[in-house]
Amino acid sequence: MRLYDIEIEKALAKIKESQAKVVCIQLPDGMKPYAEEIEASITRETSARVLIWLGSNFGACDIPLGLDRLGVDLFIAWGHNQFHKKGEGW
Amino acid sequence: MNVLFLEAPYRGEIELCQATLDYLKKKKYKTVALYASVQFCPTLEKVKEQLQKLNIKYITSQPDRTHVSSQLLGCDNYHSSLNLAEKELQQIGCYLYVGDGKFHPLALVYAQKDSSAIKEIVSDDPLGKKMIIMDQNDIKIILRRYRGSLLKFLQAHKVGVISTIKPGQEQLRPSFSLERKFPDKKFYYFLDDTISFSQLENFNFIDVWINTACPRIGFDDQEKFQRGVLNLNDAFHAEEILSQDSILNKA
Repeated sequence: MRLYDIEIEKALAKIKESQAKVVCIQLPDGMKPYAEEIEASITRETSARVLIWLGSNFGACDIPLGLDRLGVDLFIAWGHNQFHKKGEGW
Repeated sequence: MNVLFLEAPYRGEIELCQATLDYLKKKKYKTVALYASVQFCPTLEKVKEQLQKLNIKYITSQPDRTHVSSQLLGCDNYHSSLNLAEKELQQIGCYLYVGDGKFHPLALVYAQKDSSAIKEIVSDDPLGKKMIIMDQNDIKIILRRYRGSLLKFLQAHKVGVISTIKPGQEQLRPSFSLERKFPDKKFYYFLDDTISFSQLENFNFIDVWINTACPRIGFDDQEKFQRGVLNLNDAFHAEEILSQDSILNKA
């Protein structure tokens, strides 16, 4: 049994609501093996193409740049919640 | 581009393991500061009940960069980030962290580097059902190196300032203030996405590095910087930090 809830229903609802065509998913290292299951669920339940972020996912501060250029219209990051950056310095 | 964060919460109920309960009782702590990783924040009720049964009061806060109360991020590794009042800091006997791994609770050790005495971190792993205690001994070597970097910075002529282009971490503009504070030093500004440690030595004219990306890099990655590294906010107060009666200076 999986220890953590991957909340796939929330991901699917957001994809449908936003009518996303290209979705990039990002997972922390411990959850990267779930990419197969998540990709399967999304492609089965929606018509979105799934791109999997290969690199780091140190936190919600670590969102990849330049995805717009590739046509990604929804980015889903697992394992973190909203990051509140401090404006000027730490 | 829309962004959705999914916390991936823990699916079961969590409670403090027997070793943690016994330890808290043995140490006769009256008040603890309670934090957890985001996966465990929604399921801390049982933990709170256990503390109540032991007559231990818990206090908590919402640290600077977090989204919910009690959540701890690895980057909230400066005391002020925790947003605990001075009175609360004096009141607590120890920090109690619930979660697996050492990365997050270590932030609570670093957060006390400028304090004169440390409050230990009792870290309870609800998955492995085990407890570990963390204190200054876990970061002694890192703090020695860090102190060395502070000293080096004060004497340095050519300083490399590293900024990441990751929007969540980027602090380029605040780093420009270094020029006003230290007019005798020459600052060179470097950009990267994820810091390429292997590239540092190619810029062999740099005396010491300043990190402005994730504040954990300045500590956890010390050994990857042959010339030493310190965090931006500490660079501004280097002299003051080195003159304090602190864990850092006693390491």
